[in-house]
Amino acid sequence: MVAGVAGGLADTLGVSDGFVRAAFITLAMVWGLGAFIYLALWLIAIDRVENVDVEPVDSLQAFGLGLVFAGLVLFLGVIGWWPSNALVLTVGAITFGTAALTDRSVPGPLAALVDPSVEQPGRLRLLIGIGLLVGGLAVFASNVDPLFDVGPVLLAVGLTGVGILVAFGPWVTRLAKDLGEERRERIRQEERAEMAAHLHDSVLQTLALIQRADDTARMSMLARHQEGELRDWLYGNLPLEGVDLLSTALRQAATKIEEDHQVPVDVVVVGDHPLTESNRALVGAASEAMVNAAKHSGADKVSLYFEAEGEDLAVYVTDQGKGFDTSEVESHRKGIANSIAARMEKAGGTLVIDSVIGEGTEIILKMSAENP
Amino acid sequence: MSPKVYLVDDHRLFLAGVKAELSEQFRIVGSASDVDTAIGEIRDLNPDVVLVDVHMPDGGGVAVVEGVGPTNPDVKFLALSVSDQAEDVIAMIRAGARGYVTKTIDPADLADAIKRINAGDAVFSPRLAGFVLDAFAGAMPSEDDPELDQLTAREKDVLRLIARGFAYKQVARKLSISIKTVETHVSSVLRKLQLSNRHELARWASKRRIV
Repeated sequence: MVAGVAGGLADTLGVSDGFVRAAFITLAMVWGLGAFIYLALWLIAIDRVENVDVEPVDSLQAFGLGLVFAGLVLFLGVIGWWPSNALVLTVGAITFGTAALTDRSVPGPLAALVDPSVEQPGRLRLLIGIGLLVGGLAVFASNVDPLFDVGPVLLAVGLTGVGILVAFGPWVTRLAKDLGEERRERIRQEERAEMAAHLHDSVLQTLALIQRADDTARMSMLARHQEGELRDWLYGNLPLEGVDLLSTALRQAATKIEEDHQVPVDVVVVGDHPLTESNRALVGAASEAMVNAAKHSGADKVSLYFEAEGEDLAVYVTDQGKGFDTSEVESHRKGIANSIAARMEKAGGTLVIDSVIGEGTEIILKMSAENP
Repeated sequence: MSPKVYLVDDHRLFLAGVKAELSEQFRIVGSASDVDTAIGEIRDLNPDVVLVDVHMPDGGGVAVVEGVGPTNPDVKFLALSVSDQAEDVIAMIRAGARGYVTKTIDPADLADAIKRINAGDAVFSPRLAGFVLDAFAGAMPSEDDPELDQLTAREKDVLRLIARGFAYKQVARKLSISIKTVETHVSSVLRKLQLSNRHELARWASKRRIV
């Protein structure tokens, strides 16, 4: 204000000019100490530094600095360095209160009191400002200070302690937060690396294979297989750890047949049931039926439909191929059908073959999950 | 007069492929690769059938169906997607699409599906039929509208056959009913799927991360 010392100091500390001036004025009440410091600082020439971006302290740190200053002033009071409690405390409270209220770095502090959407520090500062003003006036009016007679030293030390805590607390918590963020970033990177590794092993490999494949059937089979695998990986359709489901086993069997015989298998599942020793036969029989359809029907795709309704399990393996005569004993396909029938019978299930020459074949496998 | 078809897909390569496949049988009146363009053009052109991709930026196929539905109620939507995740299927059908097929469908089947949709019928892929059976499984009719919340035995039969990979014609023969009756059953299932508040459906959907 006079020689720019307060402004320079404010810039150096990163607090508002108003508070620094309030501090000088308050200290000036202590036998003119503030004036002496002001003069001394001016003499050793702390120049006002222009246009330097000093990061302003955040509200908690400012609060802490304030408490440190209050502690210092009280300490001076305790060692008997000031003329009158009323004078110093009142001037201090009023100058700081004014500084808080007029602080331009927080837009519209008065609005902050009524508008909850305004940032919290504004409200806090306003309340502190008003509190200080009222407190200062109260001390001046009563001119009694029983509080400071009881344990002035304890109070000074306590205030200073709290001040330090508040001033450096944010730094400590920020440090902890940074550490947490660093860890999260590391985890993200690990996940990315894992994903890259997975895509490299699966999708990129398949793409390379597709580029080198020369027949379209093989290409589409590779694409189809990769699509299924990627989808399982993306959407987490992977089998549950420790729980084997019939649907999972059937899907795996279908995938294997797609790969071995280059014929797509459409799998539709309704309901589900845990895989047990007895109903595993259903998977074996279904596999055999799918192989049969893929190898001999001539159809361009095979459908696998599995339905579990309560304890009733049913698997339908359907193709729209050339079909065969179920009464013809010598037929090769009949032989396979017999082997499927034997499997099902052993497991306590049934087999129905519905085949029409020229239209296709459906193999229906049924069993009860209750079977021992 | 062949039906007017409009295509919406954000993969231009796929768009070009489908156009080439369909242009002989249908009048392709336009195409778009983003949601906003699609909604604007479909409103202007008023096509018979819109083939719409499920996964696109800015709301995807659901946004297109919901954006056009109120102004052009006669436009019918067939959802087309690489994904046949339950949540996608159900979301599209609930938004108003009359059918759902995956992009791996062969051109002849796609053409059939478009004709069927144009005729006002529903198109259920085997997967979709399976989803519906799964969603409506168990006897638990809600109090307010039991008719909407349950499939009839006949509808279940039809859906099972579709899930097993049979075409409508074959379904009709196997059940000794006409194709028209099969279509009626499927349309009725579609309506239930779109309107039902069945708590089973909600539970099933949430189990599969829908809603």
